[in-house]
Amino acid sequence: MGIPLVPGLLRDHLNELAERDERVDGRGRLEGRPVEVEVNPIERAEGSARVRMGDTIVYAGVKFQIMTPYSDRPDQGGLMTSAEIRPIAGRNWEPGPPSEESIELGRVVDRGIRESGCIDVNGLCILPGEKAWQVIIDLHAISDDGNLFDAFALAAIVALRNATLPAERFDVGEDERLELSCTPIMCSYHKVGGRFVYDANGEEELGGDERIHITLGDDGHVHSLQKGLRGAFTAEEFDDIMQAARARRDELMELVESLEQD
Amino acid sequence: MGGYGDVQMLNEDGTRMDGRRPDELRKIEIEAGVVPVADGSARVQWGSNLAIAAVYGPMEAHPRKISRQDRCVLDVRYNMAPFSVTDRIRPGFNRRSREIGKVTANALESVVQLELYPRSKIRVEIEIMCAEAGTRCVGLTAASVALADAGIPMTDMVVSVASGKVNGVVILDLNKEEDNYGDADLPMGILPNSGELVFLQMDGNLSPEDFQEAWDYNMGAAKEIHEIMVAALAARYGGDT
Repeated sequence: MGIPLVPGLLRDHLNELAERDERVDGRGRLEGRPVEVEVNPIERAEGSARVRMGDTIVYAGVKFQIMTPYSDRPDQGGLMTSAEIRPIAGRNWEPGPPSEESIELGRVVDRGIRESGCIDVNGLCILPGEKAWQVIIDLHAISDDGNLFDAFALAAIVALRNATLPAERFDVGEDERLELSCTPIMCSYHKVGGRFVYDANGEEELGGDERIHITLGDDGHVHSLQKGLRGAFTAEEFDDIMQAARARRDELMELVESLEQD
Repeated sequence: MGGYGDVQMLNEDGTRMDGRRPDELRKIEIEAGVVPVADGSARVQWGSNLAIAAVYGPMEAHPRKISRQDRCVLDVRYNMAPFSVTDRIRPGFNRRSREIGKVTANALESVVQLELYPRSKIRVEIEIMCAEAGTRCVGLTAASVALADAGIPMTDMVVSVASGKVNGVVILDLNKEEDNYGDADLPMGILPNSGELVFLQMDGNLSPEDFQEAWDYNMGAAKEIHEIMVAALAARYGGDT
């Protein structure tokens, strides 16, 4: 991503707002933008979701392939998550091979899903040593106004929860729903004007410092963390956002559960 | 174009497998202004096809070597999302996408008033989110609406549509099966006000009579699609269609 020169004016403005405990778009410090989720908008994908958070819009699509299990894990299938930020997503995203930013996005979302164990990789085995399902999650941003991390992670888990294994197409049995054992959800906090805010928008990302991504599963379990960008934070600051993330995760979980399709 | 003449693609009453008449389009829905961070954008749902196009610019042309003293440069990309087709596409360089991007650029360059913006660049990004035959036409149509939504001066919008032939019958707007098992595909980019063409490809096998019929189907359909494009812009900006 070609980062434009950050105008000092924007940072000054964000600092002034922070002193009054305000945000550039009028939200409270821990308040998210409105979230809209559409389930299975992509007919060709085996599971998909479109997530809109403010002016950020992303899609996630799940595809299944048949793979040969790795020789050291003959009874396991595979999981792959890949994020590609095409230049449609904003004027600063450039064409070409995946940037460091999009690789980080894909890997952080991947870790949250993988480490939560929500997908039973043993259950993906069809014939030990010979055939197993590979689950591929592709993340595709359409409009980047900040916090692609949370939008991607939410789209990915909704797409997975509504995915169908296309067993009939591959002639390995009957189509069935992909079963998930828990629901990892990511909440991201960005240091803006010297304090952490939830769900930073594009301007706040541009004029902010470090960011922290927390993926929480069921029963408050932590599955992945990532600190990104330049900046240092205290243990007290971390406690504060971890507590906020636990509350926000419950709200988003309610949203995810309200979307289930038959 | 498989040319599998023995695969039955038409019903006994002359309708198609999806119930359409030979000269009937799939259902088309167009919405302008769907990418909030872009200067202009459009979403086209055309049968099961879903294309999203966004326009950024005019902006400074860089790298400098692409800049032109007397006109603007159109930088057009066409890309299929990995999950847009039955068997996942690996992201990355793709010759088919590059070619479609190029012919789409050449079509749009014929209508955008490039001389108004010397030394600048306009980016047109076409993403095929779901594919079901005819994506280049859907993408070009979406790009036209996105350019209009961005307020870029154009002499006309490009309407794109294809016709082909299955089981010896000329049909408009091929679906996936008809594209796979048909004998020909003739996609065109038409300027509805002048009737001129700015995009033309064809592959397969058509007799002179069939070719004329396919051509005429496209010309007729262009008017119908143009109305939907104009209505999408009117829905966003008001005014008469």
